[in-house]
Amino acid sequence: MNAALDTIWRGRIFYLFVLPFAALTILFGVWPILLSIQVSFTASATALRPNPTYVGFANYFTVFADPIFLASLWRTLVYTALSVLANLAFALAFAVLLDSTLIKRGNLFFRLAIFLPVVTPDVAGYVVWRWLYDRSFGALNALLKMLGLPAFSGLSSADTAMLSLLIAELWHHAGFYMIIFLANLAIRDKALEEAAHIDGATTWQRWRYVILPQLRPALVINTVYALIQFLKTFTVVVVMTKGGPNDQTNFVTYYAYQLFDQGRYGEATAMATILFAIVITISMSAFLIGEKGAKR
Amino acid sequence: MSGRPPHRGLQALAYVIATVVSLLFLYPYWWMLVSAFRPTRAIMSDPLRLWPERFDLSIFTEIGRVGGVELWVYVWNSLLITSLSTLLSVVITSLGAYALVRRPDLPGFRLLRYGFLVTIMYPYMLLVIPVYLVMFKLGLLGSYAGIILFLALGPIQFFLFEQFFRATPGEVIEAGIIDGANELQVLFRIVLPMAAPITATVALITFLLNWSQWFPILVISRSPDTYTLPVALLSMNSELGSNFQGIMALAVLTTLPVAVLFLLAQKRVMEGMASGAVKG
Repeated sequence: MNAALDTIWRGRIFYLFVLPFAALTILFGVWPILLSIQVSFTASATALRPNPTYVGFANYFTVFADPIFLASLWRTLVYTALSVLANLAFALAFAVLLDSTLIKRGNLFFRLAIFLPVVTPDVAGYVVWRWLYDRSFGALNALLKMLGLPAFSGLSSADTAMLSLLIAELWHHAGFYMIIFLANLAIRDKALEEAAHIDGATTWQRWRYVILPQLRPALVINTVYALIQFLKTFTVVVVMTKGGPNDQTNFVTYYAYQLFDQGRYGEATAMATILFAIVITISMSAFLIGEKGAKR
Repeated sequence: MSGRPPHRGLQALAYVIATVVSLLFLYPYWWMLVSAFRPTRAIMSDPLRLWPERFDLSIFTEIGRVGGVELWVYVWNSLLITSLSTLLSVVITSLGAYALVRRPDLPGFRLLRYGFLVTIMYPYMLLVIPVYLVMFKLGLLGSYAGIILFLALGPIQFFLFEQFFRATPGEVIEAGIIDGANELQVLFRIVLPMAAPITATVALITFLLNWSQWFPILVISRSPDTYTLPVALLSMNSELGSNFQGIMALAVLTTLPVAVLFLLAQKRVMEGMASGAVKG
């Protein structure tokens, strides 16, 4: 015990350095999370009182019996899977294109064009997209009409609303995944490709057996980041659809937020805890699968 | 691959694809900009027009008030909140990451790092809800201080500093200590001067990220008096019978400062974000 105190005392200057960071992490990270978990075990009506009524797992049972929540959870998982695939496929394809010897002049322009949306305030980007999709103001349908193509119902139809969000979110996020692929492509061992070429490997074989395995780090990082990103999809829903039409874009985060707004704190925080558990489980398994593959 | 000259036809195809995709990505900006200068009725009759009928800045005086608050208040709030939270973030995160990297053996340091990692895994928008309760308990609801403090904590800032300090050669610090420098002198005379470039990168990225923040600001605010431009834009967009031209003008105002800043410092931003992510 004394030895520990001694270590702390001799390292006191480091505790001083870390103090503000620790304070913020605890006040705005650890404490709210614990508070949220605590609230999820209380009756909503008493949640904010000094002495709330604890109801055990009742809120979790309510949530798992709620068909709207189950539909919303399923929708979130489907949307996440589609978004991760679409974003990574697009980002990888574009990174490979820009990294190839085919594009020399203007390379920076193309990178900037794809990356600019990443640093554009998401609210502004999605507001513009919302109106681009609009039936009477939107440029998209005006263009389709000019080309003699059928109209795209965009955000107004239950069939196309999710796709519309996916496109707008791809516009906002794909540039980030692209630069990670580009960074990985830049540090790969090009001599291996030369050797494979000399040995008579086809372009496809070079890709499959030489380049792709070297891109594993970027693939793992991007998959984990994208999974976390799209499981948490929120802003685009608030700006563009408010969960509609017909609940087709009512993802878990938005549904939980709506319940919170209605004062159903217990259920809202139970959903938050569930989503948190899902985010951790999925991203950890993606990470572990990636790591395991790397060792093989 | 590198040795052979590229096929001409293939090269032309690559340029066509890259150009079309890039222009599609840039088109929303152009449409936003043009729409900010065109009356709502003109946009409805011809949404595809690539150039405004006339160059008219009057919309910015027309939207002089949004949600009962002067437009310049939002501009000022954005500048104030973004700058101060960036400054605070750089100071707090650099010191914290430095201490955690230098002495991971100190009691509690490992736990703190895990606590931080768990925090950034938590769905952000759902964290903001209990943060509301915390802010209420701390009496920070509706204050600039509450917003600025909350925005000072971010994952990419921490990872960039952590990565930098881990790569800092220990011999440099050892040498300083042998020369009789105390830890404060080591920090201010040896470590911080070396960390100047990474500090600039972190500051830049934090500014860009915090300028875009909206949900924590909306939740911690009690009235539009502490709203920033993105929050004002969101509330204007949700208003009934929206003023389309006004919304586009406000979107331009929200986007332009960070777009320009990014283009001026693009190399630093893209490299910083890539390496901050790779480490995380």
